Amino acid sequence: MSLFKRKDSLPIPPVDSEKYTTVCQYCSAGCGYNVYVWPENRSGTARSNAFKVDLTKQAQLMSGFSYTETMHNVITRKNGKKYNLAIIPAKESRINKGDYSIRGGTNAMTAYTPTGITKSRLKDPLLRKNNGFVPISWDAAVEIIATLTKSSIDKYGADSIAMKFYDHGSSGLGFEDNWGAGKLFLSGIKTQYLSIHNRPAYNSEVWGSRERGMHELNYDVDDARLADTVVLWGANAYEGATVFYTEHIMPNLRGSSVEEKQKEFEAGEPAEAGNIIIIDPRKNATITVSQDINAEKVLHIRPNLGTDWILANAIARVAWENKWYDNDFLQKRTDLKTFEEYKTKSLQLSKSLTALLAEAENITGVPVKQIEQAAEWMAKPKAGNFKRRTLTLYEKGIIWNMKNYDQVAAIAQLNVLTHNVGRVGTGCGRLGGHQEGYVRPPAPTPGSIYAGGPPKNVDKYITGGGGKIYWVGATDPYLSTPNSQFFKKTIHNRATNLLGYLEQGGIPADPKAYAAKVLEAFEKTNGLFVIVQDIYMTHTAQDAMLILPAAGWGEAVDTSVNCHSRLLRIYDKFMDAPGIALPDWKILALVGNKLKALYAAEGNKEMAERFSGMDWKTDAEVFLAGSHEFGDNKVAEADEAKLSAECYKGVTHEILRKLGNEGIQTPVRQDPATGKLIGTKRRYKYSFASKDGLFKWYGTDAWTGYPAEVSKYINNPTYPYWFTTGRSQHVWQTMYHDKLIPEKYLSLPLPYLEVHPEDAVKLNLKSGDMAEVFNEEGSCLALVYVSDATKPGLVFGIMYHAKGSMNNVISSYTDPKTTIPWLKGTKVGVKKYNGTPDEAIKTVSLLPNNNFTM
Amino acid sequence: MTDISRRDFIQVTSASAALLLSGLDNTVIAAPAKGYPMKKIGNIKNLVENEPFAFTYPDDQSPCLLLKLPNEAIGGVGPKKNVVSFSTLCTHMGCPVSYSQGRLVCKCHYSMFDVSRNGQSYQGLASQWIAQITLRFDAVTGNIYAEGVEGLIYGRIGNLKLR
Ligand code: SF4
Ligand code: FES
Repeated sequence: MSLFKRKDSLPIPPVDSEKYTTVCQYCSAGCGYNVYVWPENRSGTARSNAFKVDLTKQAQLMSGFSYTETMHNVITRKNGKKYNLAIIPAKESRINKGDYSIRGGTNAMTAYTPTGITKSRLKDPLLRKNNGFVPISWDAAVEIIATLTKSSIDKYGADSIAMKFYDHGSSGLGFEDNWGAGKLFLSGIKTQYLSIHNRPAYNSEVWGSRERGMHELNYDVDDARLADTVVLWGANAYEGATVFYTEHIMPNLRGSSVEEKQKEFEAGEPAEAGNIIIIDPRKNATITVSQDINAEKVLHIRPNLGTDWILANAIARVAWENKWYDNDFLQKRTDLKTFEEYKTKSLQLSKSLTALLAEAENITGVPVKQIEQAAEWMAKPKAGNFKRRTLTLYEKGIIWNMKNYDQVAAIAQLNVLTHNVGRVGTGCGRLGGHQEGYVRPPAPTPGSIYAGGPPKNVDKYITGGGGKIYWVGATDPYLSTPNSQFFKKTIHNRATNLLGYLEQGGIPADPKAYAAKVLEAFEKTNGLFVIVQDIYMTHTAQDAMLILPAAGWGEAVDTSVNCHSRLLRIYDKFMDAPGIALPDWKILALVGNKLKALYAAEGNKEMAERFSGMDWKTDAEVFLAGSHEFGDNKVAEADEAKLSAECYKGVTHEILRKLGNEGIQTPVRQDPATGKLIGTKRRYKYSFASKDGLFKWYGTDAWTGYPAEVSKYINNPTYPYWFTTGRSQHVWQTMYHDKLIPEKYLSLPLPYLEVHPEDAVKLNLKSGDMAEVFNEEGSCLALVYVSDATKPGLVFGIMYHAKGSMNNVISSYTDPKTTIPWLKGTKVGVKKYNGTPDEAIKTVSLLPNNNFTM
Repeated sequence: MTDISRRDFIQVTSASAALLLSGLDNTVIAAPAKGYPMKKIGNIKNLVENEPFAFTYPDDQSPCLLLKLPNEAIGGVGPKKNVVSFSTLCTHMGCPVSYSQGRLVCKCHYSMFDVSRNGQSYQGLASQWIAQITLRFDAVTGNIYAEGVEGLIYGRIGNLKLR
């Protein structure tokens, strides 16, 4: 009676199974995993097996060893033979200690199998012809791309090539692929129209912190267990960085890390179970789980959308007024010249405290009492006048908020004002979404509007008719970009015009003739040549002219760092990519090398030189090549702030293989005396990452209301609801794998909308109904959950889902200082959908996912 | 008795067939594996709505519960197809789950399983749906029997492989 095929026993790996270490392909937590591969026809025994676990007995709870139905698969290697594959959470990893989440627990199910659920993986380069895709060779694909790229650069300039590529680690192959993309696009093509996977431009989402001299990954997982107070600001840790919450924040709330605190704290310093402040308009599961553990230790603050920096400044002002800061630290470690500007604009010292708090309450909707309590929990010294230790982590609710730069800067400054960085149990930065692995040549735009920016908006460029070639790598902007409905419609039209021209008189078969005809089409139409490089067919790929099949996680050697410790580890190759799919770095290198040859052939040395340095044979070589970008890392501990956050110079794949699940924390230093590689546990104990080592203050803007793209809806009765978005515990990103996994697609079959019970009455909606969400930007259909997670007047939707995107209703506004979009807020109308509901609602659970009460 | 099971089977099959048509493949109906003991758990007369009855199956190291729900459930037996049974070992890391308000809740890391929807883990960390016990209902006597397990019981290499 199961809805899908279940297993009631699992194969056992023999002692001599192949064993690899890897890290989960998904979230910022970066849980360690052990991988076992053994021939399908062989088996270990319950007593003697590669797990080194006695499988004759019923396992005890929380033993740290889990092997469930979802952790096994059967793969076929290039040699045609079948192998068992088991991917098991690593007990020996200090990140997860054998724990795992609903996402990582299915790592094994995502392995490519020719007849299983992942059989739809891309296997060959595909060229669109006569309304369908036909497989072509790599030679032909590379010839087409290189010829088109060269002609386009020569005729229209480098800016005629636009790209949107991921820049992260984990599911993308971190440092290796990022160096490959950096070499081709930043050193070789040199277009300014670069953009990063989920956003319209090429930028950091945290320039507001980096330009202060503080990189956003400056803490260690231990700090979440050691903090007196953990602040989660627009950061749904339980559902988004799950094991970081369950293994490091939860024990702190439960009081089970008090002993650790006593060891690490100063003599006589009070050590108790931690407090948690969660700033989020929704009462999501992170809040209700925390409350279930210890409600008295939880402060939930629900600001109006877009107002968080006003709240951060108000909390800072309360701390200032009470002198909850360390004057010595402020004097020695921060820039007192810029501090004046901060005091004037952010702390607004010319206003009385009462007036400032009243104004903050009015803008943010947060009662003064909560602002004062937050300041107390974050900054008030403990008994005995010991400094409080606060770890503040923000994520999409902040970086994708209105006014990205000021939001991030305000939170960074609040934490530096109260000296909550660089000490045990402190830190201030991102919770993270995915893992990281960034190494690239310098970007054309080094920073925000205050540091050489802002960067170009590629979405606006190509939807406005700019560019000839648009190369999309491992991202699906039809779902993920803001204002996605307009984006999709425009790109579709441009791609269709190009195809229409190519089809007149037939699409040439010869790659050279094909490229020549595309160039003709560039002249005669507004056509856009879309290239999609990915592991599956994507929504965007439906309008591609050329699709390039990439290798995925486990199919090539990858190195990345997690977010909560910057822990660099190897994600080893243990299976083969489908068909002739190649790692991204290799695809990019093939094109780069071809461009080099084309330019060399016509004697253009300068251009040929731009594409040099991509003739890598192995992934280890790419990793090594990238490491030179980091400069000299022979520095003393006290100079760690001079190093780039992800610096791994001196580390090799071989070293990482030996370190396995232990890894090494970036930035890695080479000890000036011994040359020994040393990791960095926690950052900014001695100085900040600015030229003079001092933290640079910034005076944030005053509240000026909402941008035109959103304010047009205010007081318009057609769009009465505020709308915000987020993710679900179950699935990763666009669900590229999860849409194939029954445990996932049955539980999350459709894009969904949470509606508060009071609004549900007004809208005549109940859980399981469908509703249309709409505004002038677009519309989308969603499954309704009536839930008290939202507030009256606020609806929440999953940002995107394999079956549709709620970014359709998101505006095209970006922060003028950074070109980062406000993906998290607009206003909408909601209407009950009276068509036939999807069959999927017969089997999906409609129980509220934020109610854990018994 | 088997009559009712057969009707359940068809009911769920049609839902699954619809899923297949909407493009979600791999949705198949698994027959219970061989070798499971048939064990009488109780009688429908003695079941009180929403009050779980504890028992063990397929051996004494595998705690389970039997539950009469207010409404029809996937895999449910009895005249109202509302009697279901599950392993009570959380499929995440093996902590005991407890029943309340239509779901099994694990307080170790807060996984929740919907008992009327095939034990799906609709929230929390468990990537595997909780193991559902296959029931057989005797319409004449009202007796309820366990006759198989769908899904792996946490902490064992096979449901029938403890030594
Ligand atoms: S918490 Fe994140 S890294 Fe860990 S298993 Fe889950 S998805 Fe993977
Ligand atoms: S053991 Fe049940 S949620 Fe972890």
